[in-house]
Amino acid sequence: MLAAAGAIFLMVAALLVLAWRRQPTGARRGSERVWIFGLGLAFPAVVLTALLGFGLVIGERLMPRAAPDIMRVGAEARRFAWTFSYPDLPGRSTDGVLHIPAGRPVDVAITTADVIHSFWVPRLAGKLDAVPGHVNVLRIEAEQPGTYQGVSAEFSGAGYDGFAFTVVAHAPDEWAAFMQGGGGEGGE
Amino acid sequence: MNALARHRRLQAIWSSRGGFRGLFSTVNHSDVGLMFLVTAFFYFFVAGVLAMLIRAQLATPHSAFAGPEIYNQIFTMHGTLMMFLFAIPAIEGMAIYLLPKMLGTRDLAYPRLGAYGYWCYFFGGAMLLVSLLLGIAPDGGWFMYPPLTGKVYSPGINTDFWLLGITFVEISAISAAVEFTVSILRYRAPGMSLSKMPIFAWYMLVTSLMILTGFPPLILGSILLELERTFGLPFFQVELGGDSLLWQHLFWLFGHPEVYIIFLPAAGMVSTILPVMASTTLLGYRYVVAAAVALAILSFGLWVHHMFTTGIPHMGLAFFSAASTLVAVPTAVQVFAWIGTLWQGRPQLRLPMLHILGFFATFVIGGLTGVMVAVVPFDWQVHDTAFVTAHLHYVLFGGFVFPLLAALYYWLPLVTGRARFFRLGEVAFALIFIGFHVTFLAMHFAGLMGQRRRISTYSPEDGWTAINLISSIGGFILAFGLVMVLIEVALHFLVRHRAPRNLWRAGTLEWASAMLPPAYNFASLPQVGDREPLRADPELPARLARGEGYLGAPDGMIRESLAVDIATGAPEHHVVYPGNTHLPIVLAAVTGLFFLALLLKILWVAPLAMIGVAVLGWRWVWVLGRREDLGAVPVGRGLSLPTIAEVDRPPGWWGSVFLLVADATLFGSLLFGYAFLWTIAPGWPPPAWIEPSVMVMALAGIGVALSIIGPFFATRANAGGNSPIAGLALSLAGSVAIAAALVAMLAMAPSATGHAYGATLLVLGGYGILHAIILALMAAFLIARVRAGYTSPRRRAELAILPIWGAYCGGASVVILLAAYLPVALT
Amino acid sequence: MIDLLRILVAPVAWLAAFSAVYGLQAVLCAAPPDGTVVGLPMSRVLLALAFAAALLLQVALLVLLLSRRFGATSGFVRTVSIGGGLVGVVATVWTLFPVLALPLCQ
Repeated sequence: MLAAAGAIFLMVAALLVLAWRRQPTGARRGSERVWIFGLGLAFPAVVLTALLGFGLVIGERLMPRAAPDIMRVGAEARRFAWTFSYPDLPGRSTDGVLHIPAGRPVDVAITTADVIHSFWVPRLAGKLDAVPGHVNVLRIEAEQPGTYQGVSAEFSGAGYDGFAFTVVAHAPDEWAAFMQGGGGEGGE
Repeated sequence: MNALARHRRLQAIWSSRGGFRGLFSTVNHSDVGLMFLVTAFFYFFVAGVLAMLIRAQLATPHSAFAGPEIYNQIFTMHGTLMMFLFAIPAIEGMAIYLLPKMLGTRDLAYPRLGAYGYWCYFFGGAMLLVSLLLGIAPDGGWFMYPPLTGKVYSPGINTDFWLLGITFVEISAISAAVEFTVSILRYRAPGMSLSKMPIFAWYMLVTSLMILTGFPPLILGSILLELERTFGLPFFQVELGGDSLLWQHLFWLFGHPEVYIIFLPAAGMVSTILPVMASTTLLGYRYVVAAAVALAILSFGLWVHHMFTTGIPHMGLAFFSAASTLVAVPTAVQVFAWIGTLWQGRPQLRLPMLHILGFFATFVIGGLTGVMVAVVPFDWQVHDTAFVTAHLHYVLFGGFVFPLLAALYYWLPLVTGRARFFRLGEVAFALIFIGFHVTFLAMHFAGLMGQRRRISTYSPEDGWTAINLISSIGGFILAFGLVMVLIEVALHFLVRHRAPRNLWRAGTLEWASAMLPPAYNFASLPQVGDREPLRADPELPARLARGEGYLGAPDGMIRESLAVDIATGAPEHHVVYPGNTHLPIVLAAVTGLFFLALLLKILWVAPLAMIGVAVLGWRWVWVLGRREDLGAVPVGRGLSLPTIAEVDRPPGWWGSVFLLVADATLFGSLLFGYAFLWTIAPGWPPPAWIEPSVMVMALAGIGVALSIIGPFFATRANAGGNSPIAGLALSLAGSVAIAAALVAMLAMAPSATGHAYGATLLVLGGYGILHAIILALMAAFLIARVRAGYTSPRRRAELAILPIWGAYCGGASVVILLAAYLPVALT
Repeated sequence: MIDLLRILVAPVAWLAAFSAVYGLQAVLCAAPPDGTVVGLPMSRVLLALAFAAALLLQVALLVLLLSRRFGATSGFVRTVSIGGGLVGVVATVWTLFPVLALPLCQ
């Protein structure tokens, strides 16, 4: 996308520079055809069709899909902390740290207890807002075990600067330990 | 009468009162336009200083320059001032100043309305400025998302300053838009058909229609949020049936067209200046007009692309993603039409052209990143990061500030009658261009590295230290460049270096008036036969000064002009303008009292202020008109035309039509909000429904019928030489019946503070009652006018306005009742 | 005034249809109707019908703008209004095709 944008920019710049470098064409009807219909209409139409198609296909791929081993978690934001719950582990919740199994798709049900927030773990997925009264579901998947930084990405007043959380993706054995009630240094 | 005697005579008629105090009573478009521009650039300066504070804060990690409480006010006010108190008013100022001169006429359609708009802007802006100085400025971000801006999370007065101040200022945008629309359609030089209009006028016509349909959703949203904050009507509180997403829809229904409302006038300036810089004419004029229209309307279908992360289904996002990419096509048509224009002419690198090149470079990059964020998955990553901040600055600075600076240098000689002497402008341009790109190119990368917008500080471990420092240094270079522009403009006024007439060799009519342009613009109005009249006839200025056009023989002390047919530009009516008056500033002050009362929660003052507005409004209209028939009056060149009082569709009729377009959009937005809450908000159905009442429906039915047929009878009777008073009395009775029916309806509605359902019904009913009151005032006013002898079978213009208001009020009442009762009856 | 309407009518009709289809889609997701038509879910059928109606309206407007009877007489307004008509048709296809291609409510 960046390369294409750069190429288009350079083309426009070159056309501008050429305007100084050449003899004036004068007002001719043919030039309207080239500039308006060729460069103004046809050229962007082709580029944008490709881009839109590309965006929609990728967008579709990122949507939550049915899969055999989906893990479900809840993420509730309040100023200024995230509380994560685990429907598979009733009564269990963690503050500020979300535990997930690595290599498995996870659906995060995002809600808020006060104002609008946004759940964003840049390395795992795009952001999705926590809107009062609504439940938004975001599909994330960590391919490798490890720690991923997340932030709230919707301005929520003084305190917004440090409004962050962590996602810990566990390898299968660690995950089993977490499910048993141990592990996870995020505190209960 | 020789040219000098004519000039003295016209000057005496059209001048504002001398000195500083003349500003308070002037209604002349040149004065008002410059007042708008000076004030707008003052806010540009203030908001620029705020921008410097932001860059100072972010230059280093762990900055202790300002705490988040202050910092939140700074960035909120930076965005708010730039958008609402700089960009839009600067456009209004440019257009108010230039349009009559370009269109070859003497003033805009409603001179007093222009002045009223200015004073609303002045007082509303002052409210926001005071909040900034006292440290109680709005701090919720410039798009003010509730519930953060609701009473619970923002209990202070800060948010109220925003909601009330901005709504007050928007009166000026709406009034200017009505004024521009009617002026461009009806107040042009004779012979100037639609296809011979200067391109800037086309762009302003499109922009004005956009303001009329783009601003009402924001005004509605502000009203609803302020009602929630002051009276507890829960439109955005989810636990009481509201939904904070409603605000986002209303805000962006305004907010996205807003970008194009800012861009299109700038594109109009580019389309005007660029061909002159290349000594040629605009390539593909008709296609550029079509592209501007397409861009304007397509831009209304983009609003949800600001809400890609709110959890809307992917298909919904796909509609808006598609529309967001599509809008790039008409933009490309314009960009390539401009480049093609350069190819067909001989471009010269004069100072305005430099800024236009700055516009090209910056705006094209902004457009390309815009297409990127239109792609949904990409937006999910960069949304609410510095990348978006950088993108929007490329679009707005590139698409608006560079063209505005080009326009400043291009038209400044016209305003001052002087040419540039010192050559600061080229250096200033270099600083601005380099500074801008250093600042905001860097900001793109900060965003891609994960820096969120609106954070007040970050830590060294984030890895953004160097890039923010670079961005801040660029910001200060940019600021130096802008200060140099300011210095050069100041020098321009100090150094006497006379400019020749039409120094750019342009073809449009503003260069056909004297330098400086006199208050009356043209000693006589030209007959136009070409899109660039000055190019077709370089002797035109001298011939106009000699009185060879229309209205070249001023008689008496009245300000005269002509109104023309919309399509062909054939002269139709003789127009008389009101002279200098303090009414606009007084009316704006009383309007301001209303907003101040709401702001300070001295609620009993608000109705008094509204009564004051009604009294002054009555006075406003009363001073026009005359008590005897004039018939056709000679307007020069052997032509005689009817006066404006003796026509079927006077200026007030046209103004009413376009004002009602805005009004209907507001009403439509309210209905949209009602439907949205009903279907999407989680807290529905409400605990209690309204009781449909046959009595209410019968009463309203009578009222609607009377308010529609009353005005009809009145105009019919008047045309037949009979008294229209009976018909007017019927309208008055009809409006009273409508008001009574709606009051009765509300009495049977559930509590407005208990659930968003009741709150919405209250606003719907209140909207209808307000319109019934306006209609009643109009009918009463006309009865008084008829009795005072201001109407006759020929002087029928005043009566012509009532039918459209009657029909609108009646129609709106029907819709309100349907909206209240039909869903209940069905469920 | 009528010339202004000729120029604006097709794009404004697109805007109305576009908003209506978006609204319809939101409503269908909030309260999905039952039943299928030739194996397709009712929601999909309704959206496709709305798309077809919008497209039909645009084509009709374009034909009117091209016709001698309703089209503009001045060459300039004719070009601009037909341009507007084409914008309406293209915008309708371009922005509403997702009703045929994408999943309904995810």
